Amino acid sequence: MTEPAAKAVEVVELGKNYGSVTALKSVSFSIESGMYYALLGPSGGGKTTLLRLIGGFLRPSAGRIFLHGHDVSLLPPNRRPTSMVFQNYALFPHMTVERNVAYGLKLLRVPAGDIRDRVDRMLAMVGLEGYNRRMPHELSGGQQQRVQLARSLVLERDILLLDEPLASLDARLRKDMCLELKRLQEKVGITFIHVTHNQEEALTVADRIAIIADGELVEEGSARDVYETPNKRFTAEFIGDNNVLEGTVSDLSANSATLDIGFAKIDVPAPGVTIRTGERAAFSIRSELLRIAGRNEDISDSWQVVPARYVEDVYLGLTVSHLVQLPDGTEVVARVMSDSGENGRFEPGDDVAVGWPANRARLHLA
Amino acid sequence: MTPTTDRGRDLPAPPDRWRRLLGEDGIQKWVFYIPVVFFILFFAAPMALTVVWSVFERTQFWMEPGFTLFAYENFFTSARAENYVLSMLHAAAAVVISFVIGFPIAVFIRRRVTRAAQHRVILLFILPFMISELVRVFAMRPVLGRNGVVNSVLMELGILSEPITVILYSPLGVIIGDVMSFLPFMIFAGFLALEAVQNYIFEVCDDLGTGRVRLFADIVLPLAAPGIFAGSVFIFVNSMGVALVPTLLGGPGAVNAGLIANQAIVALDFPLAMAISTIMIFTLVLLLYIGHRLFDLTKILEPIS
Repeated sequence: MTEPAAKAVEVVELGKNYGSVTALKSVSFSIESGMYYALLGPSGGGKTTLLRLIGGFLRPSAGRIFLHGHDVSLLPPNRRPTSMVFQNYALFPHMTVERNVAYGLKLLRVPAGDIRDRVDRMLAMVGLEGYNRRMPHELSGGQQQRVQLARSLVLERDILLLDEPLASLDARLRKDMCLELKRLQEKVGITFIHVTHNQEEALTVADRIAIIADGELVEEGSARDVYETPNKRFTAEFIGDNNVLEGTVSDLSANSATLDIGFAKIDVPAPGVTIRTGERAAFSIRSELLRIAGRNEDISDSWQVVPARYVEDVYLGLTVSHLVQLPDGTEVVARVMSDSGENGRFEPGDDVAVGWPANRARLHLA
Repeated sequence: MTPTTDRGRDLPAPPDRWRRLLGEDGIQKWVFYIPVVFFILFFAAPMALTVVWSVFERTQFWMEPGFTLFAYENFFTSARAENYVLSMLHAAAAVVISFVIGFPIAVFIRRRVTRAAQHRVILLFILPFMISELVRVFAMRPVLGRNGVVNSVLMELGILSEPITVILYSPLGVIIGDVMSFLPFMIFAGFLALEAVQNYIFEVCDDLGTGRVRLFADIVLPLAAPGIFAGSVFIFVNSMGVALVPTLLGGPGAVNAGLIANQAIVALDFPLAMAISTIMIFTLVLLLYIGHRLFDLTKILEPIS
């Protein structure tokens, strides 16, 4: 951190091709130092490629990578201020836990006494005190990933890269490890970049999230922004449980657009958006904001209400999903807490109304 | 299978003992024992007989039951014991040379050849086995001989003024022949051991900055050690036991254990041949035991995950 002004990571028009296959198109973004950053997206979307480019395991086909202000685009992994934690328990199978963690320091010719201290301190930090003499095959999956974390962190590099580090763990353990990773990052204070296809994992650990799909950076923002106010339709469809409806812009005012969705005209907030009447557009609304009511019930004026037919409910434990069908055949979902007392009011086939707070809908340009 | 059902009572019940022997359960039980029977008949029994016959009394054309250690005394008090030890040293030299040539080939195939092509490249090394070993070894004569390919090329290039004769009809000729014959075993075994080393291991080394030498000494060699040992045992056993190579390429005094036993059979001294074979068996069992203690040979058979 010689130049405090420089970002931890700055990627400029970075691209990667494998022959005629493009894994990463031109991607530009930056990460502030000390941030827990998640690269989230569907499998094969290019997020791992991006991480491996930052780590130096792949050579970029185009663009540049700056780490703390230095151009590292062509440097090998060990000459970058990064260290990688791999998905599959990538430990040296013939070395004890201690030797696994110490190996990187030994290569750096750190004195033996220092190595011992630093290894012990790091094992304590990841909760593996006293496991020094164990062999990797004697450890559980979660413990092996902790050893990997220790092996990377002990090098004291400024950026830790995590490539689907929790993907091979079972759901329960993954949840615990998420919180531990977050606490660990807060303790060591270095930049973490975490690749995952699991949105819950990304939302748990990350300060900021970048959505990567089809080799492109779709959207980037704080975890809360990405979840609550996604700009892109893809984000809305990928994160959380959103209902997306399409229509034609029929009217425009200063801060909102009116979308004609066939059977209704919907007002959607559109502050500072450039769009013309007659264009196609979509809007999304989170399923937990939708409410279902009887046809004759009074609903607040600030809500958008459309007629619908009740289809069914699906019990999901914490929540119940209610499916309703709009007049044009589209199905939308309203999620309600299981013990809220709002469940079981309607039978399949009932005529109902479905509504949402008008100011919570989000406009997505085509 | 309860006999209380009506249908069960109508049908004549099959004889009980037949059902037990040949019924579904019975056959499955016997199938399980077939490998055991095979092992005893064709592996354990001949080895035991070899040991037993080695202490039989020699007769003019065969042997008769008895107990004498004359064959062993004969072995240890003649030049045979010395030749046996030399044969072990030559076999060890063949192993070392095969490792130096073969293991880098295995590493190259694992690290530099496209994943999909690796097994095909390995298959190429099986091709020499399609040629009769007799022909393969015999073909070394016109290569290594006084007027052979090696000598004429080196003299033509002016590197040699006189032909080297130490590479044929000599212990060195036998070692060269052994390496030529058995080198692929080192490549196979080394490759299989390296195949079990996951790619990410190499990526971790890139990340930590492991140099080439450290990568080889700290990571590749220890992880491939069981495979290298397996290949080494294969080459050692064959170099000691295959009489063909010293017969065709060795001169006077360049023999291996297999050829010593052969010569005893030609001389109709069967107990001596059996005694030499017994000593070979125990030598190899000892080697395997040492190797197992060092490398845990069960690892070789661990599935590649």
